[in-house]
This record gives sequence, structure tokens and C-alpha cells, in this order.
Amino acid sequence: MALFAALGTGAHAADDCASALNAANALVAEADVSRVLFVARPAVVPVGRHFQIDFVVCNGNALRDDAKVQVDADMPAHRHGMNYRAAVSPLGGGVQRADGLMFHMPGTWRVIFDVMLDGRTLRLTRELEVQ
Amino acid sequence: MSPRRALIAIVAGSVALSAAWAAARDPNLLDLSADELQRIQRHGPWPPPRALDPGNAVAGDAAAIQLGQQLFFDARLSIDGTMSCATCHQPLLAFADARARSRGRQDLDRNAPSLWNAAHERWYGWDGAADSLWAQAIRPILHAHEMDANPQHVRDTIARDPELACRYRKAFGRVPEDDADAVLVDVSKAIGAFVGTLVSGRTPFDAFRDALARGDAKAAARYPLPAQRGLRLFVGRGNCHLCHVGPLFTNGEFGDTGLPFFVRPGVVDPGRQRGIELLQLSEYNLLSRWSDARDDATVAMKTKQVMPQHRNFGEFKVPSLRNVALTAPYAHDGQLATLDDVVRHYSELNLERLHADGEQILKPLHLSDAERADLVAFLRSLSDPKATLWQPSRLPICKPGLARPPEEARSPLGGRERSEPGGQIKP
Repeated sequence: MALFAALGTGAHAADDCASALNAANALVAEADVSRVLFVARPAVVPVGRHFQIDFVVCNGNALRDDAKVQVDADMPAHRHGMNYRAAVSPLGGGVQRADGLMFHMPGTWRVIFDVMLDGRTLRLTRELEVQ
Repeated sequence: MSPRRALIAIVAGSVALSAAWAAARDPNLLDLSADELQRIQRHGPWPPPRALDPGNAVAGDAAAIQLGQQLFFDARLSIDGTMSCATCHQPLLAFADARARSRGRQDLDRNAPSLWNAAHERWYGWDGAADSLWAQAIRPILHAHEMDANPQHVRDTIARDPELACRYRKAFGRVPEDDADAVLVDVSKAIGAFVGTLVSGRTPFDAFRDALARGDAKAAARYPLPAQRGLRLFVGRGNCHLCHVGPLFTNGEFGDTGLPFFVRPGVVDPGRQRGIELLQLSEYNLLSRWSDARDDATVAMKTKQVMPQHRNFGEFKVPSLRNVALTAPYAHDGQLATLDDVVRHYSELNLERLHADGEQILKPLHLSDAERADLVAFLRSLSDPKATLWQPSRLPICKPGLARPPEEARSPLGGRERSEPGGQIKP
């Protein structure tokens, strides 16, 4: 309970975070106690095609629907990013959607979530192997 | 193989494929690894599912395709009646023109790309300044160095020819007396509908790829060993498959490959950088009032979300490699005369010419003469032997009484009357 009190407005009960996304195989990007749970749509991301990411922001186990998030991706080994800027919009229930992403090469991509929450920005990343 | 943190995509059946392959040794087949087999599978199947020109309600419509075919070869669209689309996109030259730089009303700055499989591209022009086939068709019609026409000229050309006017009415359900801008866009959409029918046939590579998928070693062994070795380089050490990915052998995006991009002394072609500017300024893009899908966020996604970046300067479109042996010379300005020149360029790459922001994809391959020959043998296997044999369909006589009612002319997903490709291959 102390944790929820510390989270301030926008925090929901503990189990809400994982259940809000309603996805069995969600991926996780995390740093400290913050997490982004996300799924790609379609789940099998084709190279060179636009796709979406649906995600929720969690602090501990609490859903934070007040988080402002920018989503990006890059290929660290190639030192380049995407050619498209993702647009983030709320889907309701704390779930947000990033539209317009495209991995234009096979290889290791890093999905980047810049989460603005409680007056600070936290960068959470997750590497994905795209074939 | 490096550890996989999360597997997003995988080619189906690769495990079974490699197992079957291991059991089928043949002296005329390379011993391909599971990784190589999987990468090879990603370049098919061919042909792909049909693609329609985005934002073009008459894409796939039989009447529009017929009008588009007729207009494609009609020099009256140009201001002085001297050039048509087919001047630079000649069927017998695989819908290219075999020139380093094309010639319009004056010499142009870029090479004419082949139109085969254009409907499967994402961007059009070496700079990607157009986001649909119909928007791309408008560019040469209006460009002062090419056909140099204007909307009124195009409208008059259609209205004054009874057969063209009849075909226009059949395709669009109205007479070409409306405002000239609308007629220009309609004409471009008809041309886009026609060009969208140009899908090339299967290649020796496709037969090899599918034989691998079936585990049919006997059929696969018909693919020459030099091409197999070249393919191994392509999906392996060469890293060619990173950009030339998928069944079309392109990711549809842009890259700086270290080629000089001076148009003439002191003048550079900024490539994609200018292309994005032109796209966003265009009154004919997928977000414009002329697009039949401007309210469809999915169709216009690429146009809305494309992101100008510093590295776009000097980037040009990654071309499809299908039919590449039929479309010399190569690169955005035709500066590479032969496929061997192309391979030699990547073999001896000058890294100081790359203007990307520290991008680390391209490195000199230092290929031997034999390896270069193998890579060329593979590239040659990507061409449809019939891709220079296309001939236009004989068009039926247009009967005015069969004109389409206006309310049927523009359905959201294209005309109600679907069609097979407009032309045909003559064996």
C-alpha cells in the first residue's frame, strides 16, 4: 500500500497493470521499478512493413495511465533508427498504442520507450531479434 | 548463432526444411546451413498477393486499366506530342530505357527504373517523392523537362478524342468536361491502374527457393552452382539481404551506398532529403484531397509518419533486384554500366564517400574475381526470362452506351469490376 501511495494520481490496483493489456505473451522493458508491458500487432512483425505496439506503463505492479510516452526504435549495431516517427494514442483502460513503426532491416532492433512520469523522464528499452 | 532475446518473426518450416535438406546430399548442391536456408526462404514466395495502388479507387478496375494502357503509349499527353510514358519505360527493355540517364525534352538527371512489380513498392522515384503510382504518374506529365503538359492540355487530349473520352466515361462515370485538375488526376489513376498490373513471372531463383522449401534436392540441383555460391554470399558475408530483403529483394526504403551523387560539377542530387520535402509539399500525396483513401489512416500512414533525417542527404531508393539483369545500367543515375560494376563497387567500397551518420552496414567486401562472378550469376537468376516480351492487350472498341453510372465509379476499395493484367507475355 505504501507503494501505491507513493505513486500519486493515475495509479491503479496491483493486478491491473498486467491484466489491462490482456495479452498472454507481453514483452517487458524495465528499469528500476518501472515497466512497460507491450505486444506487437501483428505479433509476427514483418520486415519492411508498418506495425503497431500496444503497451501499458507500470510502476511496481500499478498501472499508470497518466504516463506520457514516446516510442522509438533503433539498430545499435548499425547506428541507425527508424525512418518513421511513431504516433502514440490512448486506447482506453490505460492501454496506449504506438502506430507507424517499421523495422526496415532484419537484425537486432532496440525498442525505446521514453516515459514521462511524475516530472521525470525514464528511458526503458528492449532488444528484439527481427528476421 | 547469437542468442535471441526475443524471436519476433521466423520463416515457417525452417527446422523441418533443414532436416530434410541434411538428408539429401547432392554434388550439385551446396551444403546450406539452417540459417542460410531460412534467409533464402524469406525471398519468396513469388508471385506475392496482389497489391493495389493506394488511394486509387479505380486500381484493379478493368475499364481504368484499359484507359491507362492506351494513355501509357499515347504521346499526345505531352505538350508537343513527342513523348509518352513508354518513351522511358519501354516494354521490350523491361519497362526501362537502357540509358544511364533518361532523355525527356532535355537530358534528365536520373535513370528510369523498370516498372515491373511497381505496385508492390512503397515509394516511387529514386527519391521517393511520390507515395502512390498515380501520384508518380503525374510527375513526368507535368515536369518541364519531361512531358511538360498541364491539366488543361490533358483534359483537352481526352475530351477531343472520342475513343479516349469513351474510355474515360467508362472508367470514371462522367464526361471529361469537369475541371481540368480532376481530369489530370483521373488520367494518372488510370495509368496507375495499368502499371499496377505489371507483375513479372517466376525466375530460376524462385524455382530453387521453392524446391528447397519442398526438400526437393533433384529440382534444386538444377540451379547452377555459381548462382548458389552467389546466393550464399548474398545472404551471408555480403549482407546484401539486409536492404534487398523479401520477395521483391528490396525493403522499399533508402540508403547511401557511397556512390558519387554529383549531377554535374558543382550540383548534387540530394536524393531522399529532397524527396521527403517534395512529398510533403505535393498536392497529390495520400493525405491530399485527391486521394481516394485520405480518411484511411492505414493507407496514408507512411506519408504521415515519414521522418526527415540528416542522413537522408544522398540516399536513394533501394531498388528491387527482380529482373535486374534486364535493366542495365544501374544506380540512380546509371553510373554503373554492368552487374559486375555493381558488385565491384561493393567489393571495393570507399567508406569515405558514405555520408550516413556513422551507419555501419556497408564495408568493402574484398571479393575475389570468382566470388564476383558468382554474385553476378546469382543476380542474373533473379530475372523473369519473359520480362522483355510483354505486349499490350488488344483493347475492345469502346461503346459509349456502356458508360458506368457515376455512383458506381468510385467504390472505396476500387472499381467493382476487377480485372486481370492488362497486357500479356508473348512466348
